Amino acid sequence: MANNIQNSKNQDFFSVWRINVRTQTFTKEQVPDTWMDLGGRGLLTQILLDEVPPTCEPLGPYNKLIFAPGLLVGHMLSSCDRISIGAKSPLTGGVKESNAGGRTGLQLTHLGIKALIIEDQPVEPGFWLLHLDADGARFERADEIVGLGVFEAAPPLLDRYGDKIAIALIGPGGEMLLHSAGIQNLDKDRAPTRIAARGGLGAVMGVKGLKAIIIDGATGAKPPIADEEAFRTARKAYTKALLDHPQTKVYHDYGTAAMVKMCDGFGGIPTRNFSSGSYEGSEKISGETMRQLMLERDDECEIAHACMAGCIIQSSNVFGDEDGKALVSPLEYETIGIMGSNLDINDLDTIARLNWEVNDLGLDTIEVGAALGVAADAGLMEWGDSERAGELIDEIRQGTPLGRILGSGAAITGKVFGVERVPVAKGQAMSAYDPRAIKGTGVTYATSPQGGDHTCGLTIRAKIDHLDPSVQVEVSRGAQINNAGYDTLGACAFSGFGFSLAPENIAALLNARYGWEVEEDILQVLGRQTIKLEREFNRRAGFTKADDRLPEWMTREPLPPTNAVFDVPEEDLDSIFNW
Amino acid sequence: MQVTVHLHTILQRETPDGTIGRLEMSLPDESTLAELIEHLEIPLSPDHMILAVNRRMAELDQVLKDGDTVNLMPAISGG
Repeated sequence: MANNIQNSKNQDFFSVWRINVRTQTFTKEQVPDTWMDLGGRGLLTQILLDEVPPTCEPLGPYNKLIFAPGLLVGHMLSSCDRISIGAKSPLTGGVKESNAGGRTGLQLTHLGIKALIIEDQPVEPGFWLLHLDADGARFERADEIVGLGVFEAAPPLLDRYGDKIAIALIGPGGEMLLHSAGIQNLDKDRAPTRIAARGGLGAVMGVKGLKAIIIDGATGAKPPIADEEAFRTARKAYTKALLDHPQTKVYHDYGTAAMVKMCDGFGGIPTRNFSSGSYEGSEKISGETMRQLMLERDDECEIAHACMAGCIIQSSNVFGDEDGKALVSPLEYETIGIMGSNLDINDLDTIARLNWEVNDLGLDTIEVGAALGVAADAGLMEWGDSERAGELIDEIRQGTPLGRILGSGAAITGKVFGVERVPVAKGQAMSAYDPRAIKGTGVTYATSPQGGDHTCGLTIRAKIDHLDPSVQVEVSRGAQINNAGYDTLGACAFSGFGFSLAPENIAALLNARYGWEVEEDILQVLGRQTIKLEREFNRRAGFTKADDRLPEWMTREPLPPTNAVFDVPEEDLDSIFNW
Repeated sequence: MQVTVHLHTILQRETPDGTIGRLEMSLPDESTLAELIEHLEIPLSPDHMILAVNRRMAELDQVLKDGDTVNLMPAISGG
């Protein structure tokens, strides 16, 4: 895509940083031509295909942990500085990309890192810090923070390395190699709250002996822009489209928790381990209630909070307790659904406290919440018993056999305790949309190479009958392609409503940034390419059509109150990627 | 006829008695969803709303029935 001059500028600025954790060595390599036009999710998938044996053991030496900033990262463009982190997933056994906001993407880009590839396994037991700055990479022992939760581990690192840095770190869950472990990143206020949560990437980082990666981007520089004036014009147009869109105000004022009543309104909110789609306590855990509480409590509460510098949507928040003291940031819909209604816990303060514990352990709240729902079905806790939920999370912290089972995710928990009602696809817990009521999202859960994950293609916004099985595949296909595109750009999904009104801005930004001449459909071009690469990795890893299915019980067990089952025909699922 | 209307997020109403998100309304028989929205003077284009009647996506020309539950939701794309 790039013309020669611009290609050369980007080749000069960017390189691939390769870290070997066994030899503790570092090499800086020229970016291969085939990687230069990719970023984020698309790039890391290409690297996985090029370098990682698809049948390898995810927690073995042949797997690689890859950090790849998206194509638009580096300029504090609103909602467009996300970092994609990937590997072969220990949870699904397939391709995995999980992305996060915060500071990591921006600062890696400022060091000129097109991709950070972490290879092999250490010989000695123990954990290290990997420090990256303009001079290169170095290893230091992490002894002082080993075993600490992320909220205790991050402050001494900020003290030691200065507060301009970005950090990507794991909690005790990642150290224990739990399959629900993620990788946490500092937000703009230096709190380690932005988690690349899904698929067990924290376990991959843990097995490579890294407790934290310190990124000192301030020693680097902004990436080159081919046409500064055109970039300014495109940025202005995009920002205006985002500001003008009514969704921006809803997210700003209510956060993603606005989804509680919407999903309940369609009978799709997970309730008591996905046994109902309507929750009698939904009002108490709604975005509307959350906003009211935060207005009343004030003090440290922040209704609107940016996870990345420059974000104008600010859908994140800081939720405070009865005295207004911060309990957790952010409190989001997925956690409210999976650790609230799904466990019959109808109190936002309690959900926030559980959320903080799971964050501190460095685990995915969706996976752990789903595992607790399965555990409750197995009789390990009563519905709504938040004290017991806290005890079970503490079992994970203590690393007891029960804790390790729960921390290994919903699928393993279901197998161990003999529960069939396990809400997973490709072994990964579904997000807080029951796929029987929001069937297009069910198609996404079933067919996405990533497994059960709403961020791969949520369809609840589409103006279709969510219960009609005949119209779901097309909507899921479009959503999956667009989301794979956004993940390749490094753009938050919520930037999408700015881009959707004026899709020409994506091409304009890329063309101005890289000197390309791409067309308006570049988002879909990147999305289709990314999904194709992911499916190829999974195919080589042994995945077949049989893996593109939802659990059988969801096709048999009606979901009150709509009494819907998941009935999208299998041949439709199998045709979704025939574009 | 009587219908229950849930007003989500920015469509809630501020009143001296507090914020109201749920209304019990009397409407003429055969009223449509569009007429309900007009009657409520909703300050948001239907293009930017998700409309559900009895937990199913609904169109503006849908005729309402006694006892229906209507959700008027400013559209959001995910959580």
